[in-house]
Amino acid sequence: MSTIFGTSTSAFYERSLSDLKSLRKQAEELQSELSSGERLQRSSDDPVAASRLRRLARIDVLDQIDETAANRATSDLTLADNALTQFATTVTRLQELATQAASGTLSDAQRAGIGAEVRQLHQNLVGLANSRDSSGHALFGGENAADAYTLDAAGNATYAGTATAGTLALGDGQSVARGLTGPEFLQFTSGGAPADLLAVAKTLADALESGAGGAAAANSALSALGDGLDAITTAQTVVGSRLNWIDLTVERRVSLSELRTAEQTEIGATDLTENIARLQNTMLVLEASQASFSRLANLSLFSVLN
Amino acid sequence: MASDLLSIARSGVQAARIGLDITAQNIANASATGYVRRSASFSEVASSGGAYRIGDLSLSGVRLDRIVRNADAFRQAEVRRTGSDVARASAEASGLGNIESAIEQSGAYNAIVDFESSLQQLTQDPVDTALRAAVMEKARTMTGTFRIAAQEMDAAGEGLRFLASDGVTQVNRISSELARTNTRLSRASDASSDKTALLDQRDRLLEELSQYGNIATGFAVDGTVAVKLGGTTGPDLVTGGTAASLALATAADGTISFELDSAPLALAGGSLSGQQLALDKLAQLKIDVDTLAGSIVSTFNAAQAGGADLDGAPGAAIFSGTSAATIDLAQTDGRKLATAAAGSVAGSRDASNLTAIRSALAGIDPAGGMDGILFDVSSTLAGRNVTLGALQTIAGTAKVALSAQSGVDLDQEAVNLVRFQQAFQASGRVMQAASDIFDTLLGIG
Repeated sequence: MSTIFGTSTSAFYERSLSDLKSLRKQAEELQSELSSGERLQRSSDDPVAASRLRRLARIDVLDQIDETAANRATSDLTLADNALTQFATTVTRLQELATQAASGTLSDAQRAGIGAEVRQLHQNLVGLANSRDSSGHALFGGENAADAYTLDAAGNATYAGTATAGTLALGDGQSVARGLTGPEFLQFTSGGAPADLLAVAKTLADALESGAGGAAAANSALSALGDGLDAITTAQTVVGSRLNWIDLTVERRVSLSELRTAEQTEIGATDLTENIARLQNTMLVLEASQASFSRLANLSLFSVLN
Repeated sequence: MASDLLSIARSGVQAARIGLDITAQNIANASATGYVRRSASFSEVASSGGAYRIGDLSLSGVRLDRIVRNADAFRQAEVRRTGSDVARASAEASGLGNIESAIEQSGAYNAIVDFESSLQQLTQDPVDTALRAAVMEKARTMTGTFRIAAQEMDAAGEGLRFLASDGVTQVNRISSELARTNTRLSRASDASSDKTALLDQRDRLLEELSQYGNIATGFAVDGTVAVKLGGTTGPDLVTGGTAASLALATAADGTISFELDSAPLALAGGSLSGQQLALDKLAQLKIDVDTLAGSIVSTFNAAQAGGADLDGAPGAAIFSGTSAATIDLAQTDGRKLATAAAGSVAGSRDASNLTAIRSALAGIDPAGGMDGILFDVSSTLAGRNVTLGALQTIAGTAKVALSAQSGVDLDQEAVNLVRFQQAFQASGRVMQAASDIFDTLLGIG
């Protein structure tokens, strides 16, 4: 409040009023910042900060999508990993059976019995190869919507999927292959020639059930099965490293989002301590102004003159 | 000479009465708007002696010379000029504030981000009908918010045009009143209380007029005023007893222009100018928002046409419309999103066209565009608010300076009251003395 010397009465009241009003407005602004917890009530309060906050909020929204993508990739890869473990168990059992069948002490009828179990395991392998992922698509069929492997009349499995598995974006330009295609771990090289695990199991079952030459077929299948098991464990390593990669990107995303939150708080949130102190200060000045206004307004020469 | 003493005292009593009247008038009008403090100017009534009568003393008391109106033309002009600037800035700031709310509160920015994110989520499983439905719903929300923004911006424009047309009506009313006041001023006799009241009215009308447009004034000796609208080089609004008529013209894009007696007029101050500026900004922002909405429609539809939908059919247009007001969904079925490459079979999990759509959208960056629009309007408004604050301080100072000089100070009036009361009593004492002298002279005989 400035001096009232040489001013008119109405000017004094007008000026006091505008001073008190502006103090009140300041106090109310501080109060609304305190109660909303946000420094910016509208963009024009600080256009640059508001624009930055909008961009940060956008990144936050897109980041949540990346998070669900990472979760989806993790669950698909975990499913693939579980299926591979079962593959390995089945192949190990096939190895046991092949070792038994390779023994010359068994009769053809006994080998035929083993052959029946091998055929059953072959069915299991086909079933595993046609597993479904978390969204109901073929787990090992790449981007194919239907089954990864189809069986012809003779029981031969043929790959029907696409050449590569789909990739999922994890944000910041990072992506991960969400699974494996069947041929990536079911086809391998054995003894310098390409082999297919499903075909090896099928051939072994056929040879054992036919009765003749079963021991020789089981012997030759043993090395192929060993290579097949190697291929599966290699695939498991690949899946494991992809899961690790996802963990890494998740960690990175979490730390980035912490930084973002810190920036959002810094730009957009109210500093409580500062705000309360400023509010207290404004209220004190307002009270003093009101008190001095009422004193000054009472000062009239008319009340002194009699 | 005793009779002269009485008449001198009588003129003194009269002068003191006039002084008391003026003081009472000032006190009564202490809070009347536009009232300028009056003060009485007295002059001595005396005549010098004629030829051969040099030694004669001829004193005849006091008379009221004139009633002074304590108005300073310069301070009044300052109040008008600064008031005009404040009116412009505050009209523009309040218009821009409405426009900012229209775009910001529509939630268009968040809706665009949600739409983008739903497309990103669809890449995780392009054949998932739930995700496809989510994309369509986010698209629907986005088109809805664009339409809300367009409607709100139109409403803000309507409000501004309404205020401007009301302002034009007010200017015409004030200018015709000023013309009438001019006519009466040219007839009123000098120093009459009628004239001071008319001058008060004239100044009040001028101050009121300056709220709507920047004016330049020229005062004649008889107190009449010639007003030019739009500054010193502007056309005449009021000359003598005639007033020109102001008209408002609205262009197709919602911007306004002014005409004074059919001649184009440029205003640099006053609320009319502020509303004109805000409407210009609104027209530009509307084009920006329309362009953004139109580019989303054309870009998305073009990319969509290059792929196959979930049923293997070529991608049909998803959006329709060309502007923010007309943007809408042409399809509501999520299966119509062409995520797979052209020629793919039904139910294909291929996402190559979805990638193409997303990169086409990223090319026009709709969220960035909307952010730019919001930043444009909010930074303009923030700048205007700063200007407004400065102008308000300047105008406040000018107003206080004027009212300090022309307003009524009750303390001073209290002093005047005492002073004139004492003068009245003193003149009474003079009468008493004259009477005593007369009695003394009679007593001699």
